[in-house]
Amino acid sequence: MAYLINPEDQDLLDSVREFCEKEIKEQCKEYDVSGEWPAEIYKKAAELGYNGLEVPEEYGGLGLERITVAALMEEFAKADAGFVTTITASNLALKAVLIGGNEEQKQHCCDLLMEGNHGAFCLTEPMAGSDAGNSKTTAVREGDEYVLNGRKCFITNGGVASFYVVTAMTDKSQGVKGMSAFLVEAGTPGLSTGNHENKMGIRTSNTCDVVFEDCRIPASALMGAEGEGYKIAMKTLDMSRTWVGCGAVGIAQRAIDEAVAYGKQRITFGKPILKNQGLQFMIADMEIRVETARQMVAHALKLMDAGLPYSRESAIAKCYAGDIAVQNALDAIQILGGYGYSREYPVEKLLRDAKIFQIYEGTNQIQRMVIGKSVIGKF
Amino acid sequence: MELLVCIKQVPDDSVTVTLDPATGGPQLKDITPVVNAFDTYALEMATRFKEANGGSVTVVTIGDEAALTPSLRSCLSVGAEHAYVVTEPAAVSALGKSYLLGKAAGKLAEGPFDVIFCGCESTDTADGQAGVQLAEQLGLPVITNVLELEPKDGGISAKQETEEGYRVVEAPCPCVVTVTKPAYEPRYPSIKSKMAARKMPIGTLSAADAGAEEARVAAAPAKRVVLAAPPQRQSGVKIQEKEAAESVRRAMEMLAGQKLI
Repeated sequence: MAYLINPEDQDLLDSVREFCEKEIKEQCKEYDVSGEWPAEIYKKAAELGYNGLEVPEEYGGLGLERITVAALMEEFAKADAGFVTTITASNLALKAVLIGGNEEQKQHCCDLLMEGNHGAFCLTEPMAGSDAGNSKTTAVREGDEYVLNGRKCFITNGGVASFYVVTAMTDKSQGVKGMSAFLVEAGTPGLSTGNHENKMGIRTSNTCDVVFEDCRIPASALMGAEGEGYKIAMKTLDMSRTWVGCGAVGIAQRAIDEAVAYGKQRITFGKPILKNQGLQFMIADMEIRVETARQMVAHALKLMDAGLPYSRESAIAKCYAGDIAVQNALDAIQILGGYGYSREYPVEKLLRDAKIFQIYEGTNQIQRMVIGKSVIGKF
Repeated sequence: MELLVCIKQVPDDSVTVTLDPATGGPQLKDITPVVNAFDTYALEMATRFKEANGGSVTVVTIGDEAALTPSLRSCLSVGAEHAYVVTEPAAVSALGKSYLLGKAAGKLAEGPFDVIFCGCESTDTADGQAGVQLAEQLGLPVITNVLELEPKDGGISAKQETEEGYRVVEAPCPCVVTVTKPAYEPRYPSIKSKMAARKMPIGTLSAADAGAEEARVAAAPAKRVVLAAPPQRQSGVKIQEKEAAESVRRAMEMLAGQKLI
């Protein structure tokens, strides 16, 4: 079953669902082929406040419960995983600011999202993906400024963001403890973006390099203290992983929806294919996976609500939901048979979209390291 | 200008309705109630008119308050400032509804209204009577099938859809307009406007509050004789020859064979 949300919020879910049906689902097929960022769709979504769903009430947000936001995010993901990636990535940058920024920085970024802008979180580098501590980007203090130099890659919203959370080494000799985080405004001289990546899936999200060449930012752009960047980034990822899991659940659910709709009307040997127990079992397994993944997301959110530790659960939610999204997409393709393999039908896109959920926001191997270490502990 | 929009809640028109063989009536169970599509166009037109020219938009409907609250909240989230339910008396005819709406319109605090908007018809019964009957009840001019609306010389100027195209019709205020599908879609509610609509009051008034006479509310000069599903469309003949000339020849043969030409 769907997330148990406050009954009062059901009308929000209904209106988001209507928007997804009428404005995203079909339209994104074309953008999936072209790889173009659908600015018009994002503009409409921004006008309806979809960029600011996670902005806390004290900073001008709407005060939505996390579980309600999860239900809305699942609808976005069901319609198009690239769309939910764009929204989630803005919120990823926001989380970093809420975790490590000062009041002014928090308010500024919340205002930007409430106004319908996007944010980008710049941690990954060509030689620093899973090994995020191996960052080569530097920030050198010169008077009242820092000078940034380096290249970030695979940055979601890189080319469309209004603000960037950037990690850079302020003291290489300290390793990860020499990493700091900065809030950088779009348009800052020295900040440029590379080509939009030609990706396998989530093609309606913008992904590109973000390059810093003698990019001067005020010293006040530092988030927290020097050396706190890695800690801020890890805390941010801990929290955001659950939301990535939430998106993966949406893909996995869409796979079921498509498989069931097709399987009811596809006739072989004189009866709909879903009259066959073999396929009923496949649908059951798909449902078991999506429901357990959804409840894991809900559980991690509940821990956040309660102020309890959630790192392990967040990693489980992301890792498991990412894995089952791929499996459900594969099963949906199998149920649709040759049509499932055709681009005329929607399920092959689900597989291309789902795959990234095992890779970004920490690969599922990294998630297993997090989970394993948390279970085993130091010994 | 003060604008009033009359809305009706109907079963979702995107769902195919079948007749219940036991009762002879439509099977509406499990079909989500929604605001009549033409009324949503009327509300959007009124809201755009308000945004361009000032004033406020009030929506009114007839029926059960609890059942109608979601629809009214939905209207409040896409442009209406005030909402009212006229609680339905035991018996109310189609003509009685127009009478009741007319009476209620005169009692609402936001009135008197300069323009009263109705959808040109409802997607359930599709009588297309409410707007013109309401105008008749109130002794007001009415412009039907309106596509666009703008103020002119203290009154309004409307682009009216006709069978051939459209024409421009003017009327003094107050007046009634019935709205057909304009060139735009109704706006979506934002998360913020949805949440704000939850806190907005919904006023109620009874038929007696509206000053309506029970007998006139119930009076039904038109009687429904039978409710029947339209016959299923027979599948046609597809003419798809390789050459257009050959297709035409076959079509002509068939028409001649049926003695149609």
